[in-house]
Amino acid sequence: MINLQPYANPVYFVLLIATLMPAMIGLYFGKRFKAYEAAWTFVFLVVTFGGEKWHQGVALIGYVLFQLLLVYGYQRYRQHRNQTSIFVTMVSLSIVPLVAVKLAPVLPISQLSFFGFLGISYLTFKTVQVLMELRDGTIKTIRSRDYLRFLLFFPTVSSGPIDRFRRFQTDEQQVPDRETYLGLVETGIHHLFKGFVYKYMLGYLFGTLLLPQVAHAAMLCRHAFFGTGLSVPLILYMYVYSMYLFFDFAGYSLFAVGISHFMGIKTPENFRSPFAAHNIKEFWNRWHMSLSFWFRDFVFMRFTFYVMKKRLIKNRIRISQVAYLVNFLVMGFWHGVTWYYITYGLFHAVAIILNDYWLRFKKAHPNFISHNAVTESISIFITFNTVCFSFLIFSGFLNTLWFK
Amino acid sequence: MKQHRTLWGTVGPVIVAIAAILLLLILPHKHTAYRSVELQKASISLSTNVFKGESMKTHALDHGYVPFFGSSELARLDLMHPSVLAEKYHRSYKPFLLGKAGTQSLTHYFAMQDMTKQLRNKKAVFIISPQWFTKVGQLKAAFSIYYSPLATAQWLLKAHNNFVDRYAAKRLLTMQAVPATSIMGQAIEAVAHGHHLTHAQRVYLQLRLRTLHSEDKLFAGLGIQNKLSRLKKDKKKLPKRYAFNRLDHLAGRIGRRSTTSNPFQIDNYLYRSRLKGKRIKAMKNKQVKLDYRRSPEYADFELILNQFAQSHTNVLFIMPPINAKWAKYTGLSMRMLKQTNRKIKQQLTRQGFNNVLDLTQAGNVNYFMQDTIHLGWRGWLAIDQVVRPFIERQQKSPHYHMKQMYFSKKWQQKIVK
Repeated sequence: MINLQPYANPVYFVLLIATLMPAMIGLYFGKRFKAYEAAWTFVFLVVTFGGEKWHQGVALIGYVLFQLLLVYGYQRYRQHRNQTSIFVTMVSLSIVPLVAVKLAPVLPISQLSFFGFLGISYLTFKTVQVLMELRDGTIKTIRSRDYLRFLLFFPTVSSGPIDRFRRFQTDEQQVPDRETYLGLVETGIHHLFKGFVYKYMLGYLFGTLLLPQVAHAAMLCRHAFFGTGLSVPLILYMYVYSMYLFFDFAGYSLFAVGISHFMGIKTPENFRSPFAAHNIKEFWNRWHMSLSFWFRDFVFMRFTFYVMKKRLIKNRIRISQVAYLVNFLVMGFWHGVTWYYITYGLFHAVAIILNDYWLRFKKAHPNFISHNAVTESISIFITFNTVCFSFLIFSGFLNTLWFK
Repeated sequence: MKQHRTLWGTVGPVIVAIAAILLLLILPHKHTAYRSVELQKASISLSTNVFKGESMKTHALDHGYVPFFGSSELARLDLMHPSVLAEKYHRSYKPFLLGKAGTQSLTHYFAMQDMTKQLRNKKAVFIISPQWFTKVGQLKAAFSIYYSPLATAQWLLKAHNNFVDRYAAKRLLTMQAVPATSIMGQAIEAVAHGHHLTHAQRVYLQLRLRTLHSEDKLFAGLGIQNKLSRLKKDKKKLPKRYAFNRLDHLAGRIGRRSTTSNPFQIDNYLYRSRLKGKRIKAMKNKQVKLDYRRSPEYADFELILNQFAQSHTNVLFIMPPINAKWAKYTGLSMRMLKQTNRKIKQQLTRQGFNNVLDLTQAGNVNYFMQDTIHLGWRGWLAIDQVVRPFIERQQKSPHYHMKQMYFSKKWQQKIVK
């Protein structure tokens, strides 16, 4: 049986858009063919998780049924009562499959990886968000089919961007007028073509053409600089990898957003010129935004409120510092249980804490340094290099360089 | 003023763009003639897209170039390299280098499918390395780098239901370079099982071939590594007149000067960047167990021989030695090597491939090799003594008599003593 991986080659786009055409024509004429969209989603889920990847398909079905049960159950429960322990249990249960998959490589129980399928992280983020909003009362009721449609929205099913239920539902419920829809199609096309340039040209240039070469050159210098392997090729590797990471993932995100627009859904953007950020804090408002905002809202803020409510820490500055540590450590562990992902998380936590010190210092001494084009460029330069260094850690290349 | 969006205004540009691309790819192109400097650049570039493409290769072979098949040794572009000598002394032929690290028999067999017309009744040089004949033979990863959909589509369209083509198809499938579920993959599967291609498969392959041809013609000239300045630099070091003794002396002198850093006569730069320090120590007696006598490569090599027989190509096979000092250090078995060479030679001569230049005994001639296993200064010059008359003089037309036995598992595993 055929198996297609999301946005992997030109044929995929032709198939995706050609089969989406009836739904698009419907939207053009002011109608949303929900049944057609559902059938379309089903077929594409089958070709993505079927064939040689059938075991992923089985995992997906099991996962979705489990999460559906949790959401449905919690929703029923929440209409009458609101106990914290039940809420915590529900959230914990919903992340159990993801935790199991992430722990599979480090635990001796290799069967855990059978829970895994492409996109499990992103589906978990969505479900946790729904559970939290049910707890908050910002979502009162959620119909199973609405939840499923949100969860399995095909353009973003494999790697985001992570949408929010209420935002998604608003788009889904209303059909845009023709003028607005054509506008969406236009931005969708723009997203797709920008994505082609990013992923298939620049991503290919950095990832396929340059990266193996600089990796090889850096490996040849692995004994350089007192055995640390610090060398010019290693520094080149850092920049090339950073470019590859950005263009590959930003390209993918553009595809997902573009196809969403074709379906009349304004899936949030994931990147906003991240390398133009002038400090680390701003960087996280520009890089993988749907993820960092999710972490901000559901890890950082929740943690901060919890600490404040329980008065665990008095000092507000200290609270935010601890919250940053927790936030980025969780993100590090989510990337995978390896020393380099966790170090990557810690590195960003430390960077953002130091950045906060600096910002406070600047606020207290307004005349210390003036803001002009030169200082702005210097801060962009420093931020860019800090970020690239963090990506070198993230790449796992140091692991190969030092320990393999 | 608010502009109203229209359907055509939104999707029109995309439709026009797609139509333009399709026209560009599907409409036949006039064969643009390459400038001679472009061909020369391509002939020594060893670029993968030249190797995989058709238009550069065929154009060059139609214009006085002779194919030199080989692998990593072709990149050793020193002053005695065949391309440099041919250029310096205005030979009637120019080598077109085909092959790079990782190109073995199977890669060459498929890559030459788009130039079989140019091979017909022509001459070729083929440098065959014993290092290809490992236990696993052609590596999948290397094959997929050099896999050419263009040449493969052509091969498929002319494949017959005979033993050779079925064998080639089976080997192609094991390389997993073509997705098994694609139309191309299924066509290869059909040939492997002795089935005819369906009408739909043929139509698809012809259409695909057409777009691949257009792409090849549009892009073949791009991204070719320019080594012409290196060629010119090396050319300047050569004396005006060709005199073997003088050149041999020069080759030895430059060889000596370039290998001062180590006792193996390995090129200084290479030694410093790849072997020095811990790595060289790790190589001590590392190759004791290497065995080139048993390998699927022997059957893949038979595919090539069949291709040459079919297109009636007169081929000079060159069997290079291994640096003897190096072999001794790494513990490579000389007995094994001797039997390997004997086996390869037997496979050649018993089927009528009698132009074999066996240099396997020259491993301890000074400065014959540039490094461990690659020909260099004096080695290249020694080859020139045979290559030049082979190409420049009229040769008796060869009589090949192919034997299917050489495809068998038995032959692949046989040790020729």
